[in-house]
Amino acid sequence: MILEGDTLIPADRRMVWKALNDPEMLRACIPGCQSLERQSDTDFSSSVRAAIGPVSATFGAKITLSEIDPDRGYTISGEGKGGAAGFARGKARVDLEDEKGGTRLRYSADVNVGGKLAQVGSRLIQGTAKKLSEDFFVALSERLGGTPAAAEVAGASADAAGAAARRAGAAGRRLLWGGLIVVLLIAVAWGIGG
Amino acid sequence: MKAIEDFTLVGKTILRREDSYLMRGKAQFLDDLPEPKGLIHIAFVLSPYARADILSVDASAARALPGVIDVLTGKDFVDDIKLFAPVIEIGGYRPVGRPVVAGDRVNFVGEYVAVILAESPYVAQDALDLVEVNYNPLPSVAGIKDALKPDAPVLHDHLGDNLIFKSAFETEGFAERFAEGDVVLEEEFQLGRVTGVMIEPRGCMACPDPIATNVTLWTPTQIPHIVRTAIADHLDIAESILRVVTPAVGGGFGTKAHVYPDELIVVALARRLGRAVKWVQDRREELLTNAHAREHILKIRVAAKNDGEISAVHLDVRTNCGAYPNHPYSPTLEATAAVRMMPGPYRIRNYKYDVCSVTTNTAPTGAYRGTGQPSAFLAIEGMMDRIGRRLGLDPAEVRRRNVIRPEEFPYVNVVGVRYDTGSYLPSLERGLEMIGYDAFRAAQPKDRLVDGKYRGIGICNYTEVSGTGAPGWRVRGFAKMPGFDSSRVVVEPDGKVTVYVSQADAGQGHYTTFAQLAADRLGVDWADVMVVEGDTSKTPYGTGTFASRGSVVGGGTVIRCSEKVGVKIRRIAGYMLNADPERLVLRDGRVFDPADAERRLTLREVAETAYSMNNLGLPQGEEHGLEATDYYDPPMVTMANGTHVVQVAVDPEDGRIEIERYAVVHDCGRVINPKIVEGQVHGATVQGIGEALMEEIVYDAEGQHLNANLLDYLLPTAMDVPDLELSHIETPSIDTVAGIKGAAEGGLTGAVPALANAVGDALSGLGVKITRVPLRPSYVFEQIRKARAAGEGRT
Repeated sequence: MILEGDTLIPADRRMVWKALNDPEMLRACIPGCQSLERQSDTDFSSSVRAAIGPVSATFGAKITLSEIDPDRGYTISGEGKGGAAGFARGKARVDLEDEKGGTRLRYSADVNVGGKLAQVGSRLIQGTAKKLSEDFFVALSERLGGTPAAAEVAGASADAAGAAARRAGAAGRRLLWGGLIVVLLIAVAWGIGG
Repeated sequence: MKAIEDFTLVGKTILRREDSYLMRGKAQFLDDLPEPKGLIHIAFVLSPYARADILSVDASAARALPGVIDVLTGKDFVDDIKLFAPVIEIGGYRPVGRPVVAGDRVNFVGEYVAVILAESPYVAQDALDLVEVNYNPLPSVAGIKDALKPDAPVLHDHLGDNLIFKSAFETEGFAERFAEGDVVLEEEFQLGRVTGVMIEPRGCMACPDPIATNVTLWTPTQIPHIVRTAIADHLDIAESILRVVTPAVGGGFGTKAHVYPDELIVVALARRLGRAVKWVQDRREELLTNAHAREHILKIRVAAKNDGEISAVHLDVRTNCGAYPNHPYSPTLEATAAVRMMPGPYRIRNYKYDVCSVTTNTAPTGAYRGTGQPSAFLAIEGMMDRIGRRLGLDPAEVRRRNVIRPEEFPYVNVVGVRYDTGSYLPSLERGLEMIGYDAFRAAQPKDRLVDGKYRGIGICNYTEVSGTGAPGWRVRGFAKMPGFDSSRVVVEPDGKVTVYVSQADAGQGHYTTFAQLAADRLGVDWADVMVVEGDTSKTPYGTGTFASRGSVVGGGTVIRCSEKVGVKIRRIAGYMLNADPERLVLRDGRVFDPADAERRLTLREVAETAYSMNNLGLPQGEEHGLEATDYYDPPMVTMANGTHVVQVAVDPEDGRIEIERYAVVHDCGRVINPKIVEGQVHGATVQGIGEALMEEIVYDAEGQHLNANLLDYLLPTAMDVPDLELSHIETPSIDTVAGIKGAAEGGLTGAVPALANAVGDALSGLGVKITRVPLRPSYVFEQIRKARAAGEGRT
């Protein structure tokens, strides 16, 4: 499944790039993210709670960054396993470009899901992924755009769920919806939502 | 045996006695049965991968959950359950065994990886989420064409490739005969993968006898005796210690006519643990793991004369076996059915087929209503229309020129199947007449566009294999399929009757029809006849209820057995009346000589004598009791037939297909109970509408199952079903008892090709060719769009 999109983030490219490489920031912005740890310069592990239709699970994900073009983009690849709920794996390319009013973030992800997620959630994945991605970008924009949320980032990151809940008016609902697929998703989620 | 004309209850609609409890929700299905003390509930961890090595299974968290008794994996069953495999003796088949729970490798999504044993079904479900399985995913393959590529992943190393079955046939001088045709037409047809979705999914419960080593298995199966034999064989236990019982069965459709790994597992666990063990399937598991069917690719080449007469046919059939052979049929079932049934009602004398079955990383495929026949007729009936279009002949006329005529019976077809009787031409003509075919054609514009919709008519003229006996199974390699069915008819001491039949009703109405037959032969009220089925401890051995065999074989043995008892009744009554037994008749619960009707006995009086409940003795040499047992092995097959003619309107705006008229002519030989036959025709036709227009199990190219739920696997509802106009023709068989033929599958077999042909006719003006089912709106719309774009490109 191919997921593509772009969004304008009201911050300069370097700030966006920095945020995309900051585990604390990512954890705060990824819907349902319970933990996100940097294992090395290019490897992360994380745990994300996601729900697609009737399937919900905590996905353990391993994410690797490659084709890194500092300040301009990278490729995220990864796999998330949700136990009985199934798995997701895939790859997302994220590119940043200067644009009036901030930075244009473009993403293109190819994601495969399997197990129960695919069996009962196939129809919902695209929509859910899109929504999760939007949630991610909204959260990221708020934090980078100097909105009040930005000041809370440090504190919020200590409590990802709390941050998520504060993120927007409809945060609770979004979180529910929010599962995209899994990991990748997450991974992607920040990249795209992949 | 008395002449069929003497039957007084045959051919009469008697309302089904089972409806009184089925319709009021009183039937006891598996999950309604009282649960024994100490019952263990099991649930299966299913593979999320189409193909992967299992590196490790960590069940510690699951085991720690209160209420979890144990978590078992494949290695825990290696010692007491043999590799699961059917015995098939046919050239070109290469056996593959299946572990009942995967060992080091999974081969399809849904394969059992671990078994949770818990004190309640809820705990078992919760524990599923706690089992951590570490997989190493491997390259996988799902489709027939992909699996046949040279670089495709090979599922079973010992095969070397994915061809599990391959066979071919060719009549003498085929190439020369083919070359004699004036025109050659070629097409490739495809049928989507489907399964028999039942109101009641599967499940099973094994209960050990507390004082012995015996086990009773409750399982809603269509084949209790075969299940028992297979379990005893694979567990290496005596068949005599296992009893298989079917509770009420909520639909079978062939899907429940298999032996499944879970049935072996619950029996093994019950024996090992000395506790009852129960498993109930949910809807997702049903769609993932029950036997699927179809997913066939049929390439057909037909050579025909300019007058429409077929000179020769070459059929190439490829079927998707799934990851393992089903039990007991193996993947040869639909493959050999499709190629053997294709000649159907037509005079095809020059024939060549190639057939194969391919293993893929998908669920095993097996039996489902119609077995191979919807595929065969989609191909040959599709070609009838194409011959008509090519030669400028009406498609009905092409069929008339090829159909076997009444005077040609009995007829032996090109693969050696005997058609004893049939009404192929009268059935076709009546179907055309019912739908007003000639008037429709006369008014039909060339572009088929009427009031904004494309309107067309489709025809399917089919034969329906039914009541297959041992020779019919052997010729297709089914070495262990008994073929016969049996019954025991007992006149009880009070003169009432109990009939034990080796079959297993799944909604077909046996408790009514078999009572009708026995009552008819014994001259008693049908309400005084009880029918017992689905219990291996009570009924003699037999094959079971599938493949349209209930009425032919079950009905046949009940008639024969009742007549055997009737002979004994006459002997005893003759002795009591001092009359000639040959002259005595059984009617209205009495035994008498019509020439001397004043002297008569009730059946009860005869029974009391037989059971030594009076002072009258038995004739010299006569044994006590009043019963008989009968084993009936019917002919190779018995051919029913029929014609579906359907008129559809295709909306070019959204690709939706509306069925405007639907006519069914149906000939199943001697009809026992017309209302039940109509029910079978209706039900099968509706399932055919599902297969033709909406049902399809979808796998992605790697074997991920994408619609294991009933929102995405669409079934026809009342909203999709038109008024079915039915007409019966009764052409009794001359080979079977009482002339009975089977009735359960023809509706589906006729519907799929008829609907495809109707849509093909409607869109023929646009140049759209219909070569596959299901014909979902998205697919039809896309074909219309492409055809219109191409049309504009030309102009």
